[in-house]
Amino acid sequence: MKSLQIAATGMAAQQMRVEVISNNIANMSTAAYRPRTAEFSDLMYQQYLTPGTITSQVGTLVPAGIQLGTGVRPSTVSMEITQGAVRETGAELDLAIDGSGYLQVTLPSGEPAYTRDGKLNRSADGEIVTSDGFPLADGIVIPDDARRISISADGEVVAYFDGEPEGQPIGTISLVQFVNEKGLEAMGGNMFRETEASGTPNQLVPGTEGVGFLRQGYLEDSAVDVVKEISDLIEAQRGYELNSKVITASDEMLAATTRLR
Amino acid sequence: MSNAIYASLSRQQGLLQEMQVVANNLANASTTGYKSDRAIFGEMLVPNGPGGAGMSIGALSGHAFMSEQGALKFTGGAFDFAVQGEGFFVVETPQGERLTRAGHFQLDPEGRLIDAHGNAVMGAGGNAITIPREATSISVGNDGTISSNGEILDRIGVARVEGELVRDSNTYFNAPGGFETVEEPTILQGALEQSNVSPVMEVSRMIEVQRAYEAGQTILEREDQRISQLITALREG
Repeated sequence: MKSLQIAATGMAAQQMRVEVISNNIANMSTAAYRPRTAEFSDLMYQQYLTPGTITSQVGTLVPAGIQLGTGVRPSTVSMEITQGAVRETGAELDLAIDGSGYLQVTLPSGEPAYTRDGKLNRSADGEIVTSDGFPLADGIVIPDDARRISISADGEVVAYFDGEPEGQPIGTISLVQFVNEKGLEAMGGNMFRETEASGTPNQLVPGTEGVGFLRQGYLEDSAVDVVKEISDLIEAQRGYELNSKVITASDEMLAATTRLR
Repeated sequence: MSNAIYASLSRQQGLLQEMQVVANNLANASTTGYKSDRAIFGEMLVPNGPGGAGMSIGALSGHAFMSEQGALKFTGGAFDFAVQGEGFFVVETPQGERLTRAGHFQLDPEGRLIDAHGNAVMGAGGNAITIPREATSISVGNDGTISSNGEILDRIGVARVEGELVRDSNTYFNAPGGFETVEEPTILQGALEQSNVSPVMEVSRMIEVQRAYEAGQTILEREDQRISQLITALREG
């Protein structure tokens, strides 16, 4: 009874879809989170009678043949490249990326990681760090006596001091772009790692060559569309039930066979 | 064994295979670009003694897939495409060129347009499509023309098949007889074609298959009883 195994692959696929959807819904308030979608593809076909087989001496052919499918498998779970809504927070170290691109941070191991979560803070020694405490790769240190800082749309960070009308530039924040963003490896904590599929990072000035501008005092919300996720969830659940019905029907057919003797 | 048993046995073998087709369709109810399958039964005539009419035996003789378009799901993805109407995207696999309706594409590190299985998508000229690194705001016109900021980069190829199509895994189709390029295709950007499996049809077919299978089982049981009664009657008589 292959239909039992085929329906099992269908149930496994729908279950995986529910897992992806539940992760999206769980992250509906995660800053700069991008929803994932599961894509599926059919498995190999058993060729009982290949189309094109010659059936007679005069060369007549089997027009369609008999090919029986063997189920479904997940092909990719890919990140949707969409911008989340941008929300005003007013905090001077909140940055939203208006367009594509990632901020580069340095992990404690020295390895680079990439994030769109612009909820930045000052560390004890004045360095600009992410909410996990990892410093930005641009290595900007805010002087202790700075009254306020401003970050321009193209990434220039300027510090203002008491008694001085003119600000002092203290560094620039750059953005990093990848040819294939979907190829980045998510590592949790809103961070991504470069892979062979993503291509090498391309460091750019914000607002040039297709990367977005920086917006100080704003944060990017999660791009999850809850209505879409719920309708997908309903679809996945019904898909799961349909496949379980196939299992029931196949089971009853088997039962009919065993009743024979 | 009697002919009645053979006839019902071949019907049941066919029904088991049809059940497999139904199960595969339902398993792929969420597969992008999947085309639902149908089993076709054919009749085989077996001569049944001199002068008598032949006995007909039904067996699975072929299958067909429904080529009608699946519903379009709008994803908004820059590299999600759907072919509206006839035609297939062409991808270059290690086994040769394959056709597919699943347009969930992305770029590889070199900027080539690839599908979800990593195979290059062919342009209208039979070449792999490469999008330069600096190209921004990629848009794809209705006929598959890819442009970036007003500059035409390439055109996505769409193929039409007159001859036979063989199913391959990964929602690919193989056209052993070759294919021709559609001159004016309609491609939608930001949409994916969903599976055209109709759950209502499949479930009703599944019930039909199951009941027909049980009916066949009953014939086998009755035939078994008939023979055993015959043996008993002959022995006692």
